[in-house]
Amino acid sequence: MFNARITVPPQAKAGDIVEIKVLMRHPMDRGGQSDGKGGIVPRKILNRMTATYAGAEIIRFDMHTGVAANPFISFRTRAVETGDIVFEWREDGGATYTRSARLTVA
Amino acid sequence: MPSRRDLVALAAAGLALTAYPASAGAAENETLDELVRRVTDGAAPAETGVTLDIPALVENGNSVDVRIAVDSPMTEAEHVRWIHLIADRNPFPDMARIHLSPRAGLAEVATTLRLAQSQTVAAVVAHSDGRYAIAKAPVVVTLSACIDGG
Repeated sequence: MFNARITVPPQAKAGDIVEIKVLMRHPMDRGGQSDGKGGIVPRKILNRMTATYAGAEIIRFDMHTGVAANPFISFRTRAVETGDIVFEWREDGGATYTRSARLTVA
Repeated sequence: MPSRRDLVALAAAGLALTAYPASAGAAENETLDELVRRVTDGAAPAETGVTLDIPALVENGNSVDVRIAVDSPMTEAEHVRWIHLIADRNPFPDMARIHLSPRAGLAEVATTLRLAQSQTVAAVVAHSDGRYAIAKAPVVVTLSACIDGG
């Protein structure tokens, strides 16, 4: 169900501000529809994404039903050292997903 | 063949429908203000320093690109704490909150939103020194996102 495509620049100079783009693949089911058996479909969306780089959290994206299916987020960070940008997602129901992308700083 | 009485009833219903949007519009602004004040703890946000880039007309409300840029040095002493996105005519008006840290370096983010209908989208910004700022933009949606149940 879940996947993410993360785009970071191939290389950055220390001190540069770089743009990081993340495209998530997720239906972001807002819930509330009839399930055809007398019940309603529960909400099932990614409700949080965090990105951590060089020991600090850069961004925390709290999502509600007003975020599109297959959400996109772009943000900036200052390149300080070569290292992984670690992403973590939290989904309704408690599932978590992690991905990482390496930023190479020359 | 409808009777004269039926026709009169239909005409009255039509009048009621055309009269409705004006009153709904007045209520909308009040509601947006209320929603904004709820996230700012009652403070009135300044209408400066925030750029909200969103198309004025979209065909499809299912995925609307938005870009928000805030004038901020993004230092430890002075940075943007969060950006909160509100759509007062969505069934759930709080669309998203993006928390930033000084490590972002630049307060500029982009994402994709769902809009249930034509309305005003607001981006409320909380600065680290306790100030609030806001930018608003009207968006016309010709085909709305199916997010109001059913």
